[in-house]
Amino acid sequence: MLKSFNGIIEAAKSGSIKRLVIPAATMMDMQPLGKAAGAELIIPCLVGGGKAIEDMIEETPLKSLPHEIIDEKDPNKALNTAIKYIREGRADILMQGSVNHQTLMDAVMDAKNGLRKGKLMSYISVFQLPKPEKLILVTDTFINNSPSLAEKQFILEHALRLTGILGIDAPKVAALAAIEQINLNIPSTLDAAILSKMSERKQFGKAIVEGPLDIDCALSKAAAARKGLRSAVTGNVDIYLVPEVDTGHLLAEALVFFGKMETAGAIMGTTNPVIMNLPFVSEENRFVEIAIASLRCGKGGDGA
Amino acid sequence: MIRSLDDFSRIAQEKGPKKLAVLAPEDEDFMLAVKTSWQKGYIEPVLIGNTEKMQRVAEKVEFDIGGFEKIIGDERQAIADLGLNMLFSGKIAIVSKGQIPTSYIYRSIIREENKAGSGMTVSVVTFWEVPGLDHLIAFTDTGVSIKPDMKTKAEIIKNALFVYRLMGYPKPRIAVLSGQREIGGTLSSYRDFELLRQAAATGDFGECEIVDGTSFTELFLGGRSRVPDYRGVNREDIPHILLVPCLDTGNIICKLDFFLDVTRCSLVATSRGPVCIPSRSDTSDNIVEQLAMCVVVVDRMTGEVS
Repeated sequence: MLKSFNGIIEAAKSGSIKRLVIPAATMMDMQPLGKAAGAELIIPCLVGGGKAIEDMIEETPLKSLPHEIIDEKDPNKALNTAIKYIREGRADILMQGSVNHQTLMDAVMDAKNGLRKGKLMSYISVFQLPKPEKLILVTDTFINNSPSLAEKQFILEHALRLTGILGIDAPKVAALAAIEQINLNIPSTLDAAILSKMSERKQFGKAIVEGPLDIDCALSKAAAARKGLRSAVTGNVDIYLVPEVDTGHLLAEALVFFGKMETAGAIMGTTNPVIMNLPFVSEENRFVEIAIASLRCGKGGDGA
Repeated sequence: MIRSLDDFSRIAQEKGPKKLAVLAPEDEDFMLAVKTSWQKGYIEPVLIGNTEKMQRVAEKVEFDIGGFEKIIGDERQAIADLGLNMLFSGKIAIVSKGQIPTSYIYRSIIREENKAGSGMTVSVVTFWEVPGLDHLIAFTDTGVSIKPDMKTKAEIIKNALFVYRLMGYPKPRIAVLSGQREIGGTLSSYRDFELLRQAAATGDFGECEIVDGTSFTELFLGGRSRVPDYRGVNREDIPHILLVPCLDTGNIICKLDFFLDVTRCSLVATSRGPVCIPSRSDTSDNIVEQLAMCVVVVDRMTGEVS
């Protein structure tokens, strides 16, 4: 079981070298690309104006490392070219580069020419806890605004797929809500209760889903006990499933900015790993995102 | 200006004791908090609940409650109603929830506010003390409105401003939080931000500022897309009041004190005085801090500003 970002990187190093394609890369992409190429995780394939890219990498470690430049002078076509490389099997991983989020999402989700697999895509924020050393997943923190119950099921299945790749056996899931009791006026409590029931009936394999759980019960076994709630999940959660994106996005940010926690992310629901460029993920941890993507390659995609 | 929970504790000792109606103190942690708060001079308790149960937990925490006023009661809603009626009729200064469902307390508050014709929306303000920050930050509404509309959010802001101004800040800064990203269209929480910001700019909330940022990334990074080391960002720029989009968000984020190096303290500000509503998962020490905060708030509400 992988318990840290270093563990993820080491595990990725033991796999084969992947080809990572990135449209319209900027200088900010050079550090993670250089580190990942130096660690022999990837061979970067940079799509854009050939001369401009050559000039950019001139003073970076990438210059002396294996890489490929795919000449595409029209910046509007760089993303489509990158995706085409993936679809044709000439690259394994797509990284965002300087195209904006919506443009990236539209292209990736395109039914005909994109990379989407399954009914929806979701975003998982992976956090590294120092004591005890442990990885936790929070989802969906970026893509789905107000997922329905059925969509939450897919989001949860995506997270379970990632815990499987990270070697977390029988993951414990907190289906979060404002309170730990079912309140018919609070939809998140109902969704959480249903997912919990589905888990009882083994619809999520060995995963244990507890819900609804408020965050204090999820985080602390003692706090849960004071509320009369006893469960294998409380105080030992692997996956935090949030009700909607207001909560998910702000929760992930709160952990980073107030908790000074390290985070990396993964888009799920695609044929190949796609790495997004979020501002609250440090440059150092974008290298971790490449390592996560590398571990996911060759697993047949993760669409639900 | 009150900048820390220690400030609340210090001032509560100076300004106490305040008469506190304690609703069903039938749990050891809670009774211990009442004992400690009384010993520190914050409160003079009026105990409302089942006599046997109160006596039993008092003995367990070695608290002699023989000298305090006691009112016998068993039915939870009746106890909540009585306590809030005592607050609104001026017989006591503060109410605190013991072993009573929070929804019963809110129901009683709403009834009393309606009777008083105050028009005040009930909302919860949860303070965080964050190491390195020079002020407390107040999340709201963390307890009552499940999915407040823009009009309700305006009332929630007014309540939080009322409390924050009592703490000595004439022009608090407010962030209207949202999960708005570059994808997925415009969230209702973001539309509310835009409308509330306009309302603040035209003076609807008095002296205050709604800052131009709805995410922690924007608040911490000041709108920049990325900095090499965001840990070095000046956290004193963080607004005083953080309006959360909905109850799920508010409750989930404000209770991250179980995980992060922050200390949490909550209260409900009614038009007649504060109501302390500790979570059942709160420890005794945490409840004492919340009572200290209520003592200071009621003291300042009655004009005895120190």
